[in-house]
Amino acid sequence: MKKGYIVAAVLALGFLVLGVTAFRTTLTPYVSFDVARKTAGSVQVMGSLEKGSERYDSAVQQLAFTIVDDHGRSLPVLYRGIKPANFQDALSIVAIGKYEQGSLRAEKLLVKCPSKYQGQETERQYGVKS
Amino acid sequence: MFWPGVATLWTALFCGLASMYGYFRADRGALEYFPFARRAYALFVASVVATAAILMTLLLQHRFDVSYVASYSSRDLPLHFLISTFWAGQEGSFLLWIFWGSIIGLFVWRSAKEQEAPVMIVYLSTFLALVAILCRQSPFRLLATVPADGGGLNPLLQDYWMVIHPPVMFLGFASLSVPYSFAIAALWKKRWDGWIVRALPWALVTFLTLGTAILMGGYWAYKTLGWGGYWGWDPVENTSLVPWLLTVALVHGMFLQRSRKRHRRVNLFLAILAYVCILFGTFLTRSGVLADFSVHSFVDLGITGWLVADLLVFLLAGAALLAFRWKAIPSEDEPTPVLSRSVLLILGIAALVGIALVVLLGTASPLLTRLASKPSQVSTNFYRVTTTPGGFLLAILFALVPFVSWKGETARGLFLSSRRSLAIAAIAVVAAFFAGARLPEALLFVAIGAFGFDMNLQAVIRKSRGGKFGGAGGYLAHTGVSIMLVGIVISGIYAVSKRVALPKNTPVTVHGYAMTFTSVIPPTATSKQAMEVRVTTPKGKTFWAYPKMYINARTNQLMANPSIRNGAFFDLYISPQEYDPGSPMQLGKSLTLRKGQTARVGPAAIRLDDLRMNTAAVPGDDKTVAITANFTVTPDGKPAQAQALEYVAHMDGSAPNEGRPQAVPGFSSSSMVIQNVIPVQGVVQLNVAGLTADFVPPTPETLSVDVTNKPLIALVWGGFYVMMAGALVAFIKRAGQARSAAASVPSAALGTREPAGAPRPLPAAVHARAET
Repeated sequence: MKKGYIVAAVLALGFLVLGVTAFRTTLTPYVSFDVARKTAGSVQVMGSLEKGSERYDSAVQQLAFTIVDDHGRSLPVLYRGIKPANFQDALSIVAIGKYEQGSLRAEKLLVKCPSKYQGQETERQYGVKS
Repeated sequence: MFWPGVATLWTALFCGLASMYGYFRADRGALEYFPFARRAYALFVASVVATAAILMTLLLQHRFDVSYVASYSSRDLPLHFLISTFWAGQEGSFLLWIFWGSIIGLFVWRSAKEQEAPVMIVYLSTFLALVAILCRQSPFRLLATVPADGGGLNPLLQDYWMVIHPPVMFLGFASLSVPYSFAIAALWKKRWDGWIVRALPWALVTFLTLGTAILMGGYWAYKTLGWGGYWGWDPVENTSLVPWLLTVALVHGMFLQRSRKRHRRVNLFLAILAYVCILFGTFLTRSGVLADFSVHSFVDLGITGWLVADLLVFLLAGAALLAFRWKAIPSEDEPTPVLSRSVLLILGIAALVGIALVVLLGTASPLLTRLASKPSQVSTNFYRVTTTPGGFLLAILFALVPFVSWKGETARGLFLSSRRSLAIAAIAVVAAFFAGARLPEALLFVAIGAFGFDMNLQAVIRKSRGGKFGGAGGYLAHTGVSIMLVGIVISGIYAVSKRVALPKNTPVTVHGYAMTFTSVIPPTATSKQAMEVRVTTPKGKTFWAYPKMYINARTNQLMANPSIRNGAFFDLYISPQEYDPGSPMQLGKSLTLRKGQTARVGPAAIRLDDLRMNTAAVPGDDKTVAITANFTVTPDGKPAQAQALEYVAHMDGSAPNEGRPQAVPGFSSSSMVIQNVIPVQGVVQLNVAGLTADFVPPTPETLSVDVTNKPLIALVWGGFYVMMAGALVAFIKRAGQARSAAASVPSAALGTREPAGAPRPLPAAVHARAET
């Protein structure tokens, strides 16, 4: 029976190696804007929307905007696709993509909206009776 | 705090602790404590049920002074959605979990028999940990001021699948405590085999409920969200998928131990790991760690520390006990041929655990990377790459299993018995090839799926003919998985999606279907605003598709529900993306002028000289303002001329604002008109036509849709039903065995106790006969 365990262990190890390698290659790192500009591969950046910077061309479904990080540095983002609902109200925007020709070509946008905090919001608004 | 709810909650905690104490005393030999422990447990159940009933009543009565009610429900919700707000928030979903757990416990103490005391002690501790969290983070907090209406249920969750998905999911969560409790009790009392018979039906309950809940969630995502494909779903789905995969592994391990009396460590390990993974998933989704990555994710309510403590206690208790007893767990070495059922099962369990762990690794990626830097997530490719080899291995294993006995087979013998299925696999591959599947990966999975399907189908038929359909559950489940596998791989690889803009009343052909956007159907009391699209199939048949698109009034979110045309071979999936109401034709040039400013339009210069407002133009109506603007128009090479334009603004919006057009002095067939006035800035927006060739063409009313052809998706749902039917057959058989095994064992309360340490011989009926 030891043989079975050895085969199973080898299999498990194989999975582990595959898992770790895949993990390292598919992970899109969260980087600063400076690093995003220098990286060739796909990266993930987060920032807040610069007010009034968004331009949406509905004919080609292309959204262009600028995000600003905590230090006030900015990065232009270009997203091909439908403008996410509540885009203007976003607290912060996560863009995943590659930096090319002066802007981050986002494949995916994650828009974090205040509506998520429903439960807490209610208590903040109306107060909690102690 | 709403005190009745708080009182029942604390009563539950107290009764639970009392019951645990009773079981401890009984376990130490004071058998007279059994009735006390059971009565305390019954009171625990009653208190939990009362707590749930109170919360439900508060929701149904719109008691908006209760924070939870005000946060998640509202007056406009129909009854079924109002009920579902019970589990819309953190606290309510914990309560639902405890509710199921308390009810299941009533069956557990009856079936545990001689292990009642240790099993119930562990079982109670798993739920009292949750009750303690609720005592800290109460669902009965009151608001200082009472809002007139509640915040309402998240519009995404307003779907009847979402009404039943969470209860089934939490039933699965709760049932996972049973194998964990039995495993810990087995380690504690050194009874290595007795627990398997008792816990196997419960592991199958988890298999059924958690599996159903995951698929319901998937189906909801498919039907209401334009989902992003396999693995593109929310990370939260994975946190229930991982325990489910481990439960599947556990079910197989238990089957192995029941039949062969070996691999005891594997099962103890799996039972502990599966439960710990549920706790880990709960921690991931409820601590706010995934807040940036998930729509399910709750924000941290300050219970993260409790969740971590809960996780660590049950993980360390299990791991320490397992390590401490490791050497004492009997393992009988006997030579096993390589091509035997034992080896197949062990490999299958290893593959399932491997898949579960890599999925867990991917899901936890935001947490792991957070330790080093900012949290980041793996792409969906990670899951595809890591699960494909494991999935393929599994498919081979369960394809072979019906024709591999415990005693072992020769490769030649196995080949001979699987000739028919190999032929069927070859036919399926050729058919798939001619249907257009060319990728080796797709053809490989079609081959193994068809092979596994036929191998297991033969076993089902063989069993049924022998009058033992009850024993065919596993094979039936395997046929279902084979069907699902083909569906998942083919629909995953060959789904083609195309985004098209559909101008109103203009047919556009996509994937051979002529689609015409005909109108917007306004919302009614019972239905949302829908887009009407006429679709003509390649065969000339016509049907209407109604993808829905509307703004949720409460959250101001744009909601889009796809329209799905189900077919045997493929689904046509029409997902609305954008609606543009269009704009009328515009002539001339628009310009904005400030007082004293001059702008050039073609061969003329126009200056805004003065802007006067008269609020008394209509007596008694100070909301209507008459505006007069004086301009000087200077055509090139000609003298300047004056022109005055009038504009009537209704400040209260009672009528549209109106500008009266005049000719541009010095130009025939021309016009100038005020389009808008911003009085505070002294700015006038002017449209001048006839001086230039400016012409803005009208844009048509347009609907943009994603049209996706998803081949063989019906196999995913169909295969799932077959798999679950198989699991149900297995459950009925194993539950029957557990009952008859229990009937032969006196209850612990009656006093006769087996000597600890020695594995109990099982009743003869329990031995599963190996078939050849």
